[in-house]
Amino acid sequence: MSGENDKVKSAFEIAMERVQKLGSLSDEEKRKLKEEELGPAGKALADRYLSGLPLRDLDIELGRHAEADRSAVRRYAVSHLLEAIDLGNTQEDDRILSAIEHLSGDSGLVGRIKDILKDYRKAIEEARQKNWGRLEAAERNELAIRGVSGSAVEPAVEASAEWLQIRSDLDLDFLKRLADARGNANRP
Amino acid sequence: MNIVDRFYAYLWPGVTTREMQVYGNNCNSYLVANALPKNKHVLVDPGMVTNEARQKCLERLIAGMAKDGFRIEDVGVILNTHAHPDHYGASEEIRKRSGAQVAIGKGDDDFLKLADGEAAQMLKQMGFEMPEIHPDFYLTEGELRLGPDLAARIILTPGHSQGHIAIYWPDSKVFMGGDLIFYGSTGRVDIPGGSARALKESIEMVAQLDIEYILTGHQYGSPGIIKGKDEIKRNFESIRANIYPYL
Repeated sequence: MSGENDKVKSAFEIAMERVQKLGSLSDEEKRKLKEEELGPAGKALADRYLSGLPLRDLDIELGRHAEADRSAVRRYAVSHLLEAIDLGNTQEDDRILSAIEHLSGDSGLVGRIKDILKDYRKAIEEARQKNWGRLEAAERNELAIRGVSGSAVEPAVEASAEWLQIRSDLDLDFLKRLADARGNANRP
Repeated sequence: MNIVDRFYAYLWPGVTTREMQVYGNNCNSYLVANALPKNKHVLVDPGMVTNEARQKCLERLIAGMAKDGFRIEDVGVILNTHAHPDHYGASEEIRKRSGAQVAIGKGDDDFLKLADGEAAQMLKQMGFEMPEIHPDFYLTEGELRLGPDLAARIILTPGHSQGHIAIYWPDSKVFMGGDLIFYGSTGRVDIPGGSARALKESIEMVAQLDIEYILTGHQYGSPGIIKGKDEIKRNFESIRANIYPYL
């Protein structure tokens, strides 16, 4: 048994100690703490946009927050939207980038990401032109060995192991570039 | 059961109301025996693994094939007439057991992938479970050659679904129509991708073919096989008179 002088603190006492510590936080620390509390609000706004909230309604939703809080909510929403950018989904990416530009006002960032996505699409197209004919011939040959041929047959080249590897290698490369652009954007 | 030549039918029960209640929904499946090298078979529209009535559809198909001396492990190619789960659902399970290649109409695969699979999502919201399918090749309009001596014509027959295909075997005058036409009726057109106008156009095009056997997708209250030119002609006439006005 521990000594009788050791006191087991109640949850209330622990909470009160923490509150007292808060009183000793600097203004800067208090501001940061407040900002972190707004993280979920920014994420929620981004999620609503990703689920279909129109661009024009972003300002309406932001307006529901206190003026002092809006800047933080914007920043967190932008951060979350940046994470949602996907290499392969052009239509959705364009929509996300519109929201990022609207919320952040940073057309430079949006421009950099658009360049990465454009380079990615170009790289895919070049890989396709370079490899598709060969891969299709190989798939047709494989099907012919199995007894399947004819003008009605179109091999699913995009599902072939070699094409999937080509895509995977390209994706890795461009995902890194995207991550770098996001990382630079998130720095103060 | 053998229909003609190397064509075998495995019909899902549903001729009577009682059968439909007990057995639930699944499609008719058809086997083209020994069509491929090493005596592998072609299976058309494998149906589901299990259905909404908890019937073990795939096991029933396997048992039916076994009665005719065929093994599921010897299926070399699976052809799907369209991307509705009651037709293609067991494809990947059969592939696991047999190593079969899987095919589906290009139009229907495109439709399912449209807008990141929104079409498939719509079907799910209508209550359809959508098993995965990973086609090895697609079917487009043209000639399908199988093995050294068998040829079929793949015909695009939209209406029930956007990319619905039918398979016509001219040497045996066999037509596998999927859900295009049934005995006295047609496939429904109210599922996303369906079109009444396209269905009618497809039916009229098919009515010009020289067919002795129509192998239908379902026995919805009627036999699944329509046999003989006269019976087939009467069926088309009946559909025009009784079904077209409602499409």
